[in-house]
Amino acid sequence: MRSRRRWGMRAMATGGTYFAILLFVFPVLWMVVTGFKTERQAYTMPPLLWFRPTLAEFRLALASGFGTYLSHSVEASLVSTAIAVVLGVPAAYAMVFRMRAKQSNNLLFFVLSTRFMPFAAIIVPLYVIFTKLHLLDTIPALILVYTAMNLPLIIWMGRSYFMDVPAETLEAARLDGANLWQEMFRIAAPLSRSGLTASALLAIIFAWNDFFFAVNLTYTHSPTLPIMVSSFMSNENVFLAKVSGLGTLIVVVPVALGLYAQRHLVRGLSAGALK
Amino acid sequence: MARISGAQATVSVRRSSSPTARRPRPWLHIPAVAYLVLLTQVPFLYAIWLSLHSWNLLEPYLGKPFVGLHNFAFELFSDPTFWPALGHTAELVVGALAAALIAGTLLALLLDRPIPGRGILRLVALIPFLVTPSVNALIWKNLILSPSFGVVDWFLGTVLHLPPVAWLANLPLFSVVMMTAWQWTPFFMLVVLAGLQTVSDEIVEAGKVDGARPTQMFFRVVLPQLGKYYEVAILLGTIFIFQTFGKIFIATSGGPGIATTTLPYYTYQVAFQDWEVGQAAALGIFGVALAIVVARLMVQLFASQGEGETADALP
Repeated sequence: MRSRRRWGMRAMATGGTYFAILLFVFPVLWMVVTGFKTERQAYTMPPLLWFRPTLAEFRLALASGFGTYLSHSVEASLVSTAIAVVLGVPAAYAMVFRMRAKQSNNLLFFVLSTRFMPFAAIIVPLYVIFTKLHLLDTIPALILVYTAMNLPLIIWMGRSYFMDVPAETLEAARLDGANLWQEMFRIAAPLSRSGLTASALLAIIFAWNDFFFAVNLTYTHSPTLPIMVSSFMSNENVFLAKVSGLGTLIVVVPVALGLYAQRHLVRGLSAGALK
Repeated sequence: MARISGAQATVSVRRSSSPTARRPRPWLHIPAVAYLVLLTQVPFLYAIWLSLHSWNLLEPYLGKPFVGLHNFAFELFSDPTFWPALGHTAELVVGALAAALIAGTLLALLLDRPIPGRGILRLVALIPFLVTPSVNALIWKNLILSPSFGVVDWFLGTVLHLPPVAWLANLPLFSVVMMTAWQWTPFFMLVVLAGLQTVSDEIVEAGKVDGARPTQMFFRVVLPQLGKYYEVAILLGTIFIFQTFGKIFIATSGGPGIATTTLPYYTYQVAFQDWEVGQAAALGIFGVALAIVVARLMVQLFASQGEGETADALP
């Protein structure tokens, strides 16, 4: 008797959990569903749950210059992440294996402070500087900024993963005559591979999702995908299905990468303070 | 060549046999540091210079005369938007942080228990955090909170027979707080889940033996062990939520009126709508000062709490 009641309780708790999560992610699900509707169906009230899905609005969204925005987004996020990795991984390595604790901590503090400085504080000077350098409204401007935005992330995540590499392993390699680069690229980096990969994926997500720099530095000639949303919505008539299709296409990349790297999200976002 | 590397090997063998074992040759970080200085510190110094000058990009013939601290004084004493914007920023940060903290904790507690499909549920619950902020605003503005085609007002009207609410027109700041909290809830969920893994089973068992009710268990036994996790989450949540921009840009454009104009959004407006470069730079510097003060206060608060705990633990 008692066990049956317990079973019932447990089933209810499980059902409740599923319902809560469903409700929580409902806004995203609803966008995905709306993207498969026709415009007329999207505006139908009460909201339609059963309908014949169509790819027409996705095609419309793709035909409105999606490719150009996509290429800007891909270029800006991939190139900036690559540069951040090239600059950041050696820095993280130096912090863990080549510095005294005090110097390493000071450097970490500096790196944190550059990332946590409100972006609004440097947008005006960057705008003026990029105008003078003829970089305004170009993808290189975004690459420069996103690299600065993601370098701290790569450094503090890299630092946190290198700290997990046993010092004895490097000692042994050193005794076998490994030089600095061999130590870093043949031993430390491969041992921290999954963590470093996750750091790069997080950097791509941050660059991909950025709105602030893109809207202020490259709105007219080199807009990225998040800007495409705003240009779709500044029109008087919002086309619900089309804009939902567009939104779905945009979030595929960050959601996929983020779910893949999810085990490392806490460490990445807490600057290595939490694991 | 071979001789040089041989010599290096000898040096490293000698050094590594010493107790410190670390060869101090720290130059690997210099490119990264130089890059960060060039892209963040130099612009910041330039922002300080700009903030001391009056410069309107639309009126270049006025030049950029030195005005001392006038831009700062104007914001503090004469600008009717500055203090409301500061207030909205505080409401957004505190409101979104509190809501995300509570919702994230609840989700974490739900997903900490062994239920079928837990791994998948945890992944699914993460999605709002990964959704591009401008798409987040698109979803909430058009599909969820719209008075004519939104799901919420349909539910209120048809199912509960309540009058519809024009969320973004009548409760704009509350709506932005909700969108922001929705985005940050998974972050708190992840942090709390990570913290729950470290909660000592022995203490939990002891609590059960002593007959603690579930709420007692959470508030008296589990929560005190999660202190560090909440501290880090609150500190970083504050820093990131303070920067909220895309959602405001798309959902409300800072309005109606200035109802959802926050400090970062106002800085953007002064810079790129009024083109008052000097004044926008001054606003940016207020933002930095505020961020530093808040971060310091929090670190101190957390640090003193930590001391309190240790003091209590002593007999």
